[in-house]
Parts: sequence; C-alpha cells; structure tokens
Amino acid sequence: MAKHNFLANEVLVQMDARSQNEGFARLCASAFIAPLNPTVSELTEVKTAVSEAVTNAILHGYEGREHTAPKVTMRMSLQDYTVTICIKDEGTGIRDVPLARTPLFTTRPDDERSGMGFTVMESFMDSVEVLSAEGQGTEVVMRKRFSNGQDSAAN
Amino acid sequence: MALRFRQEPDRLVAEVSGEIDHHSAAELKERIAREYSRGTAKDLELNFSQVTFMDSSGVGMVIGRFKDTQTRGGNMAVSGLSGDIKRLFELSGLHKIIQVK
Ligand SMILES: Nc1ncnc2c1ncn2[C@@H]1O[C@H](COP(=O)(O)OP(=O)(O)OP(=O)(O)O)[C@@H](O)[C@H]1O
Ligand SMILES: [Mg+2]
Repeated sequence: MAKHNFLANEVLVQMDARSQNEGFARLCASAFIAPLNPTVSELTEVKTAVSEAVTNAILHGYEGREHTAPKVTMRMSLQDYTVTICIKDEGTGIRDVPLARTPLFTTRPDDERSGMGFTVMESFMDSVEVLSAEGQGTEVVMRKRFSNGQDSAAN
Repeated sequence: MALRFRQEPDRLVAEVSGEIDHHSAAELKERIAREYSRGTAKDLELNFSQVTFMDSSGVGMVIGRFKDTQTRGGNMAVSGLSGDIKRLFELSGLHKIIQVK
C-alpha cells in the first residue's frame, strides 16, 4: 500500500455548458483538493486552470450549439498528493492543437479574448495534455503535485 | 461581481469587486464601456483591490478597455492588484502596455 493512499479519491461532475457553472466548477475543484491542505497560491492556480478549461469548453467547444443542451464533464482524481483534473466537452474540437496552445492565439479576438487560456493552464499546473480533433470534442488533462502545506507557513 | 464608479477630474475610476471570469466579464465590459463613453474623461483607472478571482477573461476585458482609452487619446491604469492578478498581467505582457499603480 502506498503511504498516502488514504487520500485517494475520485469524483465525476457533469454540468450544463452554461457560464454560471464556471464558478461552480472552481468551487468543486477547491473542495476536492482541500484535504491536501493547499497553500493559497496552489488553490488559486488550480481554480484558475479549471476556470480556463471549463470556459473554453462552454465558449469555444459548444459555440452555436446551445440548443443541443450540451454538457461539460470534470473528472478529478487524487493519488499521492497529485491531483489529475480532466475537463471534457463533446463540441467542435480543435483542428490544430499546437497552434491553439500558442500564447495570444485566439479564434475570437472580436469577443475580447486574449488567447492566454492555455498559457495560464500550462504555467499554473505541472502538466497539461490536450486531446482533441475537429468535430470530436476536446479533453484537457491537467496534473499538479501538492506540497501538502509544507510551505504554507511561509506564505 | 459588483462595480462602483468614481468620477475624478478628467479620469473615470471603476472599482470592481468579486470574481472576474467569462460569466461576469461581459457585463463588466458593457457597464464600464457605457460609463466611459457617456462621460468626457479621457483617462480610465480600473481598481481591482476588491477582486477575489480573475482568469484570462479578465485579461481580455482589460485589453478591451485599454483600446477604448486609446481611441479617445487617454491613458489607462490599473490599481490594487493582488499577487495572483499581477502574475496574470505579467504572463500576458499586460504590465508592459498598461500602467500598474
Ligand atoms: N474546448 C475547446 N473546443 C474548441 N476549441 C477550443 C477549446 N479550447 C480552446 N479552443 C481553441 O483554442 C484557442 C485558444 O484557447 P485559449 O484558452 O488559449 O484562448 P481563448 O479562449 O481564445 O482566449 P482567453 O482564454 O484568453 O479568453 C481558442 O481561441 C479556441 O479556438
Ligand atoms: Mg480560453
């Protein structure tokens, strides 16, 4: 048995692709990582990364498909102080993932988008994987290892 | 999200509180842009000291207001940035084009 297996956990949340659920998704992620005793910055980093991925699913993934009652799913799992968060939509998908991940790249400059979402996810999490193809939806898998409050006294 | 305006000589100050995300950014954009276009002040300051959360939707909203002030020949500043929001500004290069007080 791994030493910290008592923390092992998995949660699946399915939500309507509506913008009010961006805040809900952030709250779910905060609650899920609470047992890891995250520092204030770790908490902000996870909330921000989740917000980026869920917003992208709602805004880009399901753009123009609101009538199909689209859903976003968020699967979170915890193993040995490492959290894995998968955010998935069944929307338009991304034709060119490396291009989409480029800082400042956006397909919606008209909508006051800065093209910084993926860059934020990459800099706030330890790893970000994007599984997507045109017409096939998008899944973003993010991982982060926690310090377990070891530097919370310093914050 | 809540918003309060303060009119100073030739400057509009918008004090934002709460969370800035995609859900709230559209309303923020609309209300700040409307107040700015109604008035005659050239300069705009966004005060973020009561903002508890911001993601890239906030970055886009700030750039949008910066463009509004450019169109009118004014200056834009942001104030009251927390460490986390400052990090977003630096990541996106916003601190290079917008005055941070
Ligand atoms: N879930 C998704 N489904 C379809 N396209 C996506 C998805 N996520 C991202 N994209 C595409 O990748 C581009 C870059 O995403 P990113 O989050 O970096 O920037 P943005 O959303 O355009 O702007 P910002 O996040 O700064 O508001 C988007 O403009 C969009 O074209
Ligand atoms: Mg985005």
